Amino acid sequence: MGIIFQLLFTGLGIGAVYALVALGFVLIYRATNVVNFAQGQFAMLGGYGMVITTVTLGLPYWLGILITLALMAVVGAIFNLGVYYPLRFRSFLPVVISTIGASILITNLVLALYGPEPTTLPGLTDYPGFSIGPVFFDSQYVAIIVISLILVVLQYVFFEHTLLGKKLQAVSQDKEMASLLGIRVSAMIMLTFVYSAVLGGIAGILVAPILFVSVGLGAQIALKAFAATIIGGFGDVAGAVVGGLTIGVVETLGAYYVSVPYKDAFAFLLLFLFLLLRPQGFFGEKIAEKA
Amino acid sequence: MAVFRPWKLGTASKTMTRRRTNGLGGILLAASFILTASGVARAADDEIEIGMATPLTGPAAESGKYGEWGAELAIAEINGQGGVLGRKLKLVIEDDQTTNPGIVAAFNRLASNPDIAVFLGSVRSTQVHAMDPDVRRVAKPVFIGGTDPNLTHMGNPWFFRCRPNDTYSAKVIADFGVHTLGFKKWALVTSTDAFGSSGNKLLTAELSALGASVVTSQGYANQTPDFTPVVLAIKGSDAEVIGSYFTYEQDLGVFARQLRQLGVRLPWVGSPSITDTAALHLAGPALWGTYGIADFNADSSPEAKRYAEAYQAAHHVPADQFSAWTYDAIHLAAIAIEKAKSTDPKALREAILSIRGYHGAEGTYDFDANGDGLHGYNVVKNDHGKIVFIKRVDFPPP
Repeated sequence: MGIIFQLLFTGLGIGAVYALVALGFVLIYRATNVVNFAQGQFAMLGGYGMVITTVTLGLPYWLGILITLALMAVVGAIFNLGVYYPLRFRSFLPVVISTIGASILITNLVLALYGPEPTTLPGLTDYPGFSIGPVFFDSQYVAIIVISLILVVLQYVFFEHTLLGKKLQAVSQDKEMASLLGIRVSAMIMLTFVYSAVLGGIAGILVAPILFVSVGLGAQIALKAFAATIIGGFGDVAGAVVGGLTIGVVETLGAYYVSVPYKDAFAFLLLFLFLLLRPQGFFGEKIAEKA
Repeated sequence: MAVFRPWKLGTASKTMTRRRTNGLGGILLAASFILTASGVARAADDEIEIGMATPLTGPAAESGKYGEWGAELAIAEINGQGGVLGRKLKLVIEDDQTTNPGIVAAFNRLASNPDIAVFLGSVRSTQVHAMDPDVRRVAKPVFIGGTDPNLTHMGNPWFFRCRPNDTYSAKVIADFGVHTLGFKKWALVTSTDAFGSSGNKLLTAELSALGASVVTSQGYANQTPDFTPVVLAIKGSDAEVIGSYFTYEQDLGVFARQLRQLGVRLPWVGSPSITDTAALHLAGPALWGTYGIADFNADSSPEAKRYAEAYQAAHHVPADQFSAWTYDAIHLAAIAIEKAKSTDPKALREAILSIRGYHGAEGTYDFDANGDGLHGYNVVKNDHGKIVFIKRVDFPPP
């Protein structure tokens, strides 16, 4: 019995990271109708930001987090201005290709600046974790799950109970109508990119102590996070979270009870089944295009 | 009989070129490819070119850098001694991107240069398999570090291995674990790629031959972010010891940490990656107390010690097998060219196969008819982060 709880705990921890990156995918999609394939690179940059601030510069961990997240906000703004904004009136495909190009550029810039070597990043705490019965709760996984839950709740409150959140929702639903109502659409989209980059950065900060910091960190997470957004229902915030957690748990249980080498296959089998049987995902509406 | 040569650094760097395939580098590469193909960029007549396909990017980029440094050190030594046949050696490097398509493309770019006499291929068996058809077509000697035994037993006469193959690694892991440590029940953790699969098969056979059993065998796909299912399977078995074949240090680091976090304290005897500099750095205390087999160890011979000191002085990191095999490969290529008195591929092949008793950094080279130069391993222990030599086990060439 202890084994299944251990697997569930680890699956939820990994799934929470997928969920954080998936949230970034969803927010940008809702605001711009575009899939940002550089979302995983935001996570990688978050990991490197922490290495530079806390390991190289020796700053306190909390200060490293603040500086890294501030830098991620800047990255999000630059990304919006450089990658999305010039192509905002073009169709879906050129913008998506632009984000793919940006992801390659970011990866190679990091490679050129910091080299290919993976490096370690200390966890949020030196405390390794605790056991309840046969289940070991790794402190980093606990932090990932707790912080992800807090972020989801804050995001819900922000979108549902603040004026700024409602403006963002209005922009995501109908940009022209939002503009006619006096909402500054470009500012809202800028805010969305900034927030998505920060979310990606948080995912990177949380997962880097487990997976190490390397240029491949983002790609490792992004593919599963993308699958999570589809399973959850593309464009749905709750769906991204549920999708991420589902993938994390399914691949971990599948690996233990069926086959470890086919661990990734379970995640993508789930994706395939959803595309076949419920293409709108957990929470998505069954419509082809947004109004 | 080859003589170990003292080195003189600093003379060869001007003759070395490196080409990367990213961004602007890709454009430059294309330009240099065109120039090379048209003969404009041919090496100077007094240089003998050696092509090297190595990972400069991708998950194995760190070990690729070490391999490059090892080869450069050997080139510097040889050129410092006046070169080969009175000509300097020149290293031409292509990035294999740590992928199979990447190494095929890298090798073909190198092979398009007719001045390249000898090549250094991959340390990863799966990549060597990918290169195989093109190497047969090009028909020039390629030194490899991949340890899948099949690589030199599949009818390709142009592969020459500078590391002991996994027949020996499995023999030594099994022998040490069963006879020295006294464990009969094994848990195996192996990558599902060519290297890991081959290691799994060979180690299972060797353990069976020694009367030991594999109580759980866990394969994993490379770049796995979470090893909890693997660790729990080991924990739930009655294994007394872990045997492993990890391809990438990052995977090994993640596994080692989770293994210890989840309370598994079993002894562990691993393939050479468990002793890598990168693995020691990433896994830290999680690897303390583990045993490994290592084709390179600084304390295994005077030649290995001298090499390790020179490498450390040049790069300020400890030498490991990723740099040692490329270092030896360049020296072996130089010896073969000297013996053959030409760069004719067939003459070089005969010269390489005739090398006996060459004391390299990795061990003593006695090439057999299949192209395997080494026939034994070192057994080492991770003593609080320091790799300590236990013993050298050599087998007679077949």
